[in-house]
Amino acid sequence: MNANATERIYVFKRFERFWHWSQAALIITLMLTGFEVHGSYTLFGFEDAVNIHTTAAWSLVTLWVFAVFWHFTTGEWKQYIPTLDKAGAMFKYYLTGIFSHAPHPFKQTVLKKHNPLQRLAYLGFWLGMSPLIWFTGWFYLFYDQWAAWGLDAYLSLEWVAFFHTVGAFMILIFFIAHVYLATAGHTPTSHIKAMITGWEDVGH
Amino acid sequence: MSLRQFISAGLLGLLASLALASNAPTPAPAAKAATSSTADHSKFKALQQSFASGPEVTKACLTCHTEAAKQVHKTKHWTWEFMNPDTKQRLGKKNVINNFCTAVPSNYEFCTACHVGYGWKDQNYDFTSENNVDCLACHDTTGTYRKLPGLAGHPTYKDVEFPPKSGKIVKAPDLRAVAQGVGKSSRDTCGSCHFYGGGGDAVKHGDLDSSLKNPGKYLDVHMAKDGLNFTCGECHKTSGHDVPGSRYAVTTVEKEGGHMRGKKDANPATCQACHGGKPHQGEKADRLNAHTAKLACQTCHIPEFARAQPTKMMWDWSTAGKLDKDGKPFKIKDSVGHDAYDSKKGDFRYESNVIPDYVWFNGKVDYTLRETKLDPSKVIEINHFNGSPDDGKSKIWPIKRFVGKQPYDVGSNQLLVFHTYGKDDSALWSNFNWDKAIEFGMKEIGAEYSGKYAFVSTEMSWPITHMVAPKADALACAQCHTGPGRLDKVPGIYMPGRHGNALLDTLGWSFAGLAFLGVVAHGAGRIYTSRKGAEK
Amino acid sequence: MVKLIAGLIAGAAITMALAWNMASGLMFKEVQSPFGLEETVARIQQNIQNTGNGWALAGLRNPAKAVQQDGGNVLPVLMIEACSTKYSKPVLKEDTVRFLSILMPCKISVYKKNDGKVYIGTMNAGLMGRMFGPLVGEVMGQVAEDQKKFLIFDASKPAPKMIEGMPGAASGGGAAGGGGGC
Repeated sequence: MNANATERIYVFKRFERFWHWSQAALIITLMLTGFEVHGSYTLFGFEDAVNIHTTAAWSLVTLWVFAVFWHFTTGEWKQYIPTLDKAGAMFKYYLTGIFSHAPHPFKQTVLKKHNPLQRLAYLGFWLGMSPLIWFTGWFYLFYDQWAAWGLDAYLSLEWVAFFHTVGAFMILIFFIAHVYLATAGHTPTSHIKAMITGWEDVGH
Repeated sequence: MSLRQFISAGLLGLLASLALASNAPTPAPAAKAATSSTADHSKFKALQQSFASGPEVTKACLTCHTEAAKQVHKTKHWTWEFMNPDTKQRLGKKNVINNFCTAVPSNYEFCTACHVGYGWKDQNYDFTSENNVDCLACHDTTGTYRKLPGLAGHPTYKDVEFPPKSGKIVKAPDLRAVAQGVGKSSRDTCGSCHFYGGGGDAVKHGDLDSSLKNPGKYLDVHMAKDGLNFTCGECHKTSGHDVPGSRYAVTTVEKEGGHMRGKKDANPATCQACHGGKPHQGEKADRLNAHTAKLACQTCHIPEFARAQPTKMMWDWSTAGKLDKDGKPFKIKDSVGHDAYDSKKGDFRYESNVIPDYVWFNGKVDYTLRETKLDPSKVIEINHFNGSPDDGKSKIWPIKRFVGKQPYDVGSNQLLVFHTYGKDDSALWSNFNWDKAIEFGMKEIGAEYSGKYAFVSTEMSWPITHMVAPKADALACAQCHTGPGRLDKVPGIYMPGRHGNALLDTLGWSFAGLAFLGVVAHGAGRIYTSRKGAEK
Repeated sequence: MVKLIAGLIAGAAITMALAWNMASGLMFKEVQSPFGLEETVARIQQNIQNTGNGWALAGLRNPAKAVQQDGGNVLPVLMIEACSTKYSKPVLKEDTVRFLSILMPCKISVYKKNDGKVYIGTMNAGLMGRMFGPLVGEVMGQVAEDQKKFLIFDASKPAPKMIEGMPGAASGGGAAGGGGGC
């Protein structure tokens, strides 16, 4: 690896790292229990799976309330503004350049810590998968309140569950790609180290 | 005093007190069990006489309880008839043909052992007679009053061997003692008929049998002798002799959740009448209460029926009438000692701890009556429980599904009434001749018979509602939500854990698999090229 | 190197998980019965008595009854206990394997599950036996052969009567009297 010349920058602040890892744990838990509730396998037992899933969901909601607050007070939300600038170059890099050790087309800075493809993917996560999973999850959880809310005529559990599962599969695929691409930084471990320590090696 | 002296003195004292005790006068016959009643019937002049028959007792009862017989006359217990206001079908024991003993007409003397009256031996019975109301059947507290089949609703007035040739003697009750001991109806009195429906203990219902006389807590959390010790009347709260709770017109859904008993003209025998519409408490309350929108309480809380003794699940009349090589009727027992075959009745199958069938049920029941035209190529539903997931009036109920075969008229495609019991030469149980038995039965009800019969498969549904298990034994989540689940055959529900969309699953797992393969391939490519780079 | 070790560990873990998963399937067997609960018991009991080789019924346990007396419910389960001195004697004679008496008498369990069907649970005596040396292996191999015969049913024969308690002993398969058991 050509790590002969490195520069270190502080990309992920303490809260951000805490947020990332606890969110990761919660999402893994939600996927494990969720697909069990869905009937894909038996792991915890249905009743426990439901309970853990519900608890993890509420924990994630709480975490997100803090995260959203943090993003807006620190202005970090701007990191997710999508840009197509260099997106093509990034795509080409993952497709070919990464194999020939071409230089990473994106220069990470504290103000621009996500590459353009990351921005697009995370935006998709925030605006696509996450509303889908939260909306459907909310109605799934409060199934017993539909009548009280006057919604029982318009909703069917079958479709709520269907779209909740759609969201779950999308997140699973996102998760696979995300975990893999974490090794596609300047060095295979540089992104992961950064998420743990906050400091990232950025090559010249 | 030495220790030894002390002990011998003590022993002497003990012996002395024992001797004294044995000299003491024997205690008076056990005093009557404490009761809150304001009347001691043994003190009533009208009852201080010898009674030769049941009607004589009733006559004495009516001298004080002047309206009692008139009240009883209005009830199903007396008329054996029920007009279903919804379906306009004329039901009741007198009219319905079921797939157990099938029909009452032409067999009155036998069947009316369970009639709250005396002397119903043919269709000319006088339903206006007050003296023929049987007060003792429901109000005996001595446990000695017993009506035997074949006596047209009378108890035996002399000691007899019953069942015939069994060597067991049934004693004639002391009517004077029985009359003086009357009290409230009890599990024993209700049970003397309702536990033995269908021709024997536990045969018919599956959730009502003699084990409820003194049930353990495991069997019935309400009636447990060392628990709440409910009588039947605790739920079937009776007023004016009219016992509420009907299986002809079942209350399946309490529209307003729960109600206060007595305040409303609603069925007091439902679970909700005491427990309300949101009965669960604790951390799981919301989720469990949500289930009550679609599930009857019984579905979870009576996870199996016939938990103390086996109930009959199948009765095939078509094999009745086989005789052994000496031309005598015979029986074959099953592994537990119940009848598996009886020349009089055919083949049986018993089962204990039965897992119920589950159906949508809105309380409306349609019967196949004698007049109903059948399609004999299909299984005939003796009674059809109506209900659907979408009618807003149904809940999922547990039922006992009782199957059998019984005769029908090949000419008219209608169920047949046949003569099972009688002291004549046409009764099936005397001469094992179906032709004669059917002819006699059909003549008795004045209906036409083509002269040709065959056997048709039938099934009958029974709502399961008694023998509520302790709450710890209610169905657990996984018993429905993981497979094979209890409600797998119930249509119209989305069951998390059981009913995922198969296409979505295929697509979802495929794409996830592809993504995984993609990153593995990509990663392998990177490792390969970086090795190559390193070699250079 | 790290990858190699990680791979080895992962491989070992997967193998162990698989073995763990399959162990119960190897040591115990479950088959569905074509008969009702009591009839299944009665037919197995009859088979045991007809197998010869010294086999005798040692008892019939009903653990569901104990739960009922405690005020609870479980689906019915009946445990048939059977024993043959021909097989128990050599094992009981040998100090090094006498502890295997905890596996005596042989048990066959008949029970109902949530699907309403009746199942027969047996132990894989042959496999278990091989874990304890040649003597036990041989004895248990023969036991396994006989056990197979216990579960061969002839539906054309009428259902025999279920035998409750133990012939020749007090009841319930507790103390082994002279007649039944070992």
